[in-house]
Amino acid sequence: MKNRTSSHVFILVLIVGVTAIGHYAVYYGALIRGYEASPITAWRNLLLLTILAGLPILLKRFVGFEGNWTLFTSAVLLFSIGLTVQYRLFSDAEYTSRQDKASARQEKIKVMQRHYIQENYSAEKKQIMGLPATPPSPVDLSAETPRPAPETLSDVFLSGKTFNPLLGIIGLVAALVLLRRQEVLELLQKNGFLIVVLTLGPLLIAAIWSRGGKFAGNLTPWELAKIPFLIGFAAVLAILYKNLARTYWGIPRAKDALPLVFMGILPFLPFFVLKDFGQMMVFSAVYATLYVVAVRRFLQRFVLIGGVLFFVAILVVGALPVGTQEKIPLLPTLASPVKLILPDRIQQRFHLWLDGFNPPSPDTSWWKSDYDSYYKKLVEQNPNLPQMLSEDPDLQRTINIDAWFDILAFQPAQATFGIASGGTTGRGLGLGYPELIPVADSDYIFAALAEELGLFGGLLVIFALIVFVSAGVAAARQARDIFSKLCAIGLSAFIGFQALVNIGGITRALPMTGITLPFVSHGGFSLITSFIMLGMLMAISHRNSVDIKRDQVTANPRIAGV
Amino acid sequence: MMSLFLLLIDLGKWSPENIFGGQVLERTPAGLSILYIIGLGILVGFLIISFVDHFRRPKFVFEKNLPRQVRRKMTQTLANRSLRFWQGFFVLVAIAVFGTQVYWTYFADESNEQFQALNYKDLRNRRASASTLRGWMLDRSGNLASALAYYKVDSNGDVVRGFALEKEMAHLLGTERGTPGLERTLYRRPSNAMPEAWEVLTRIKRPQEEQRDVRVTLDRDLQAYIANQLDGKTGAIVVLDPQNGDVLAMYSNPSFSLSDAQGLEEYLRLEGNKRDKPLLNRATREFYVPGSIFKTFTLISAFRAGKQNAVFSSYAGGFKPTAGSRPIVDSSQQLGSDGSVGGSCAGGCQPKNITEAYKVSSNQYFAQLAIELGRERFRETANLLGIAAVDQPADALVQKFFPAVWNTSTSAIANSIAPQQSALVTGKDISLYDLGIEGIGQGYSGQMTPFQMALMAAAAGNLEGKLMKPRIEADHPPQAFSQVLSPQQAAAVRNIMSTVTEEPGGTGTVISAKLANTGIKTGGKTGTAEKLAPEYDAQGNLKTITRQRKNAAGELEEYKVPSMYKRVDSWFIAIAPIERPQLAISVVVEGGGYGSRTAAPIAANVILKARDLGLLGDKYRPKAPAPTAAPARKRR
Repeated sequence: MKNRTSSHVFILVLIVGVTAIGHYAVYYGALIRGYEASPITAWRNLLLLTILAGLPILLKRFVGFEGNWTLFTSAVLLFSIGLTVQYRLFSDAEYTSRQDKASARQEKIKVMQRHYIQENYSAEKKQIMGLPATPPSPVDLSAETPRPAPETLSDVFLSGKTFNPLLGIIGLVAALVLLRRQEVLELLQKNGFLIVVLTLGPLLIAAIWSRGGKFAGNLTPWELAKIPFLIGFAAVLAILYKNLARTYWGIPRAKDALPLVFMGILPFLPFFVLKDFGQMMVFSAVYATLYVVAVRRFLQRFVLIGGVLFFVAILVVGALPVGTQEKIPLLPTLASPVKLILPDRIQQRFHLWLDGFNPPSPDTSWWKSDYDSYYKKLVEQNPNLPQMLSEDPDLQRTINIDAWFDILAFQPAQATFGIASGGTTGRGLGLGYPELIPVADSDYIFAALAEELGLFGGLLVIFALIVFVSAGVAAARQARDIFSKLCAIGLSAFIGFQALVNIGGITRALPMTGITLPFVSHGGFSLITSFIMLGMLMAISHRNSVDIKRDQVTANPRIAGV
Repeated sequence: MMSLFLLLIDLGKWSPENIFGGQVLERTPAGLSILYIIGLGILVGFLIISFVDHFRRPKFVFEKNLPRQVRRKMTQTLANRSLRFWQGFFVLVAIAVFGTQVYWTYFADESNEQFQALNYKDLRNRRASASTLRGWMLDRSGNLASALAYYKVDSNGDVVRGFALEKEMAHLLGTERGTPGLERTLYRRPSNAMPEAWEVLTRIKRPQEEQRDVRVTLDRDLQAYIANQLDGKTGAIVVLDPQNGDVLAMYSNPSFSLSDAQGLEEYLRLEGNKRDKPLLNRATREFYVPGSIFKTFTLISAFRAGKQNAVFSSYAGGFKPTAGSRPIVDSSQQLGSDGSVGGSCAGGCQPKNITEAYKVSSNQYFAQLAIELGRERFRETANLLGIAAVDQPADALVQKFFPAVWNTSTSAIANSIAPQQSALVTGKDISLYDLGIEGIGQGYSGQMTPFQMALMAAAAGNLEGKLMKPRIEADHPPQAFSQVLSPQQAAAVRNIMSTVTEEPGGTGTVISAKLANTGIKTGGKTGTAEKLAPEYDAQGNLKTITRQRKNAAGELEEYKVPSMYKRVDSWFIAIAPIERPQLAISVVVEGGGYGSRTAAPIAANVILKARDLGLLGDKYRPKAPAPTAAPARKRR
């Protein structure tokens, strides 16, 4: 298949159609549980996708886009999956309402029990129960009145869920239009340092003002800062990469290395203040990628990869669960200084990652306060507890397990159970229980997806991701200058690693960090950022195609018809 | 023309409900979501194809004429090799991450022990079982109207579980917390409770609700009646059908209300009540000293050994197994603290045969018989009756459950109602005196449950001399636990047992007096046993005695021990009717005094009630039904 705009528009239209099927499945599944999923939201989602499906025609006509459409289409595919899963989650009152969870759940259970009785109980049984004595019969959904969806037209269209994708699309077009120009690229390349410093200032202020990594409600405006950081680092690397090749045992001269190290460390400062370790992980992976791509010698790569491995090993050794450490001689001694340095939050995450089903002992430094508050609440309910505890040592274990799974491990454990219950084809859209996982629409969306769409759903996301990243790598390979090459690989690595860190965190391949799944998760600034990154990648891809065309014209004017 | 043709197609036929099968509601979304996955899969395939075009980098113009050596050193080439390498790395990592999803989906269930152990933390299980209702529990009649556990609609319009005998069956049904009872094990979640989309689409049919209702062997009226009989007393009653092992009724008092115990606070209060121990099922999980009823065990052993014709004398000074030992005396005799014996032998001190000795419950005879039979015979009989024969007295104190005695369809059901296994010490270390008093239900045979004693009676009551495994599911085929006696021996044992209740001078004649007009002949054995039990005051607190001892430093210090008193437990086991037993009953009343005075009348009442309910067969059914036989069904 050639890179024709028309064939990609065809795929995009099919995506709209398939998403309509998914939305209808969600709608029907909701009816079975006695509530209505908002049809307006469904139409809004389809409308958004239709806009995205029509965008290539506009871009071709008015911007003259020549680049690789695969980037755009795979991103839209991921976005459409995200919309479907979000539609599933947000239509469920048990998931959305903050106060009324219990009654929403009770209502659903009631409806399903009623259906069960109607379908299965004999007339005699129904009579004994005091219900109308009718023989067992299939439920007719059209005869029932589900609880109507609360959303009105203005609710749906004036919400962030409508504006954010639209802003994302605008950002995409803007990035594409700007970056395809040579002078903009040159401007960025020459002012890398300035860009980073200008971003850092407001970011640090926002970070210090923020509460728990959130700003003014639920916003995370620093997501946008990822782009200038990336450009800045790529720009510095593009200047220095040749000098870096002059090495002594794989170590470059300080004059060349120091600016790079400085630029590399800068983004970690605000994210450390924000305790956003996921972003830090992604940034280190992306910067390592850029470095590996830019440097020319094997030894240089080796020094970096070895250094990263060493650092990770130290972290892992320090955070290994105590039980595992004791099995290996000398390890506890090695680990104790690392443990002292590691922040509580990282130790928590590492424990959840490596030994998540095994609660830590209640004396553990980072768990003690949570356990104690849980215990205090129990004692308030039952004053005899301390006495019972002294009689029965097993009781403390039970309380500890309950506390662990009620507080810290609740979300990851429910997510893992969700993945396990999904099986190969999933429970079916609207038939699983992803509403049990808190915040399943953003960080944990992959768990919700794996529960209802199963392994195949996960495979879809992984494949779409691989296609997207490969297309990004192709853009990087075709790029003429090292700056756009580094930008392209940096952007695709960013989106790719962010997705892997997110999915890996949910499936416990990596420690869980609060980071979103690009294009799929529900998000404000993170979604906009992803779309802008996509626009930049498309711009670089467009420039490559123009360059190739120009080459062909220069080499053989007759083919081009000049 | 075309539009006309389109009009002919019935659009309704193509609605998803019709395509995927509207019989099961879930099929529609399940089918649609599979369609969704397939559709997206095809689109991803398209994308991969569309991308193949970009796999090779077109050469730059200036590259084409460069020598190969130079081209290899170019930044472009070097960086692109790194890019390729990175791309491969990324794909590998992505697939590895996907591998962990595969792990949780397919392998964690089997290989990850922690994951299995904490499976109960999965809220999905609760949600799935909340929306599919449990089956109903029907009593042995199988009538929906006399269901033991059912569903009802409460005042809020919620569907809630209801129990006909909330207090009377609390121990059997079990609460939603703590160890599970029948309520949680009979209705295990069907294996397809959490089906995948394709299973919903292809396999799931509407469940056959009728099959999921469970008919249990209990008789609702008899269960209510025996609970009433123990009102105000502490003890237990077990009623079995000796021919097929049906548990007709089983109750332990004090009990509790199931609905109250669902709340944590009330549950903890029940658990904290150490004096009454309402959560304890005394019928299966409390050990008692069996006393004289255990002579039935010695009797069965004698028949198995062919020693049923042994004749022993009783002595006015009691029977001394060895020269220096304490004498074993009859219950009609009193043993002074100096070893002097007062009173007369039970039934006279003349030589007695086994029937005479059993009838008057002669301790001296059965002690001598036990020593004559020896440990090995006891061990054999114990094994056949499901009693653990242990070597060391300490082993007898180790409590372990014995689910294997039950005849159930799943091990979970057996586990939920498993009795504590009774134990008998038959090791080499026990003396002849120990063996002698074991044969009369004292000493090392003092770890018996009422349930175990009912099984012993049932073995004698079985026409073929078999011990049938007790069962609770009425539709499960009966199964034998062991062949204890030959049919002839069993008949002879029943004959001997009937002398206790039917012949004048027997210890259980109160039974025949109560059943005088019914024509029912019974057999049985009384028992009276002393057991040291902790004392509680009126507030339910443990009474303690303060004692002194020297500590390690040689100083006197005070310490407290629970105050104990001798509790006299009243026992009775019975089989009825004697020519073809339909009931094997075991009754124990804590602190009830003589077996003939407290436990035996209760057993007689149970037999009368069973007759009214028709459990003894048509032969004994009263001509005009007693007014209490069929109480008006009240629906709760």
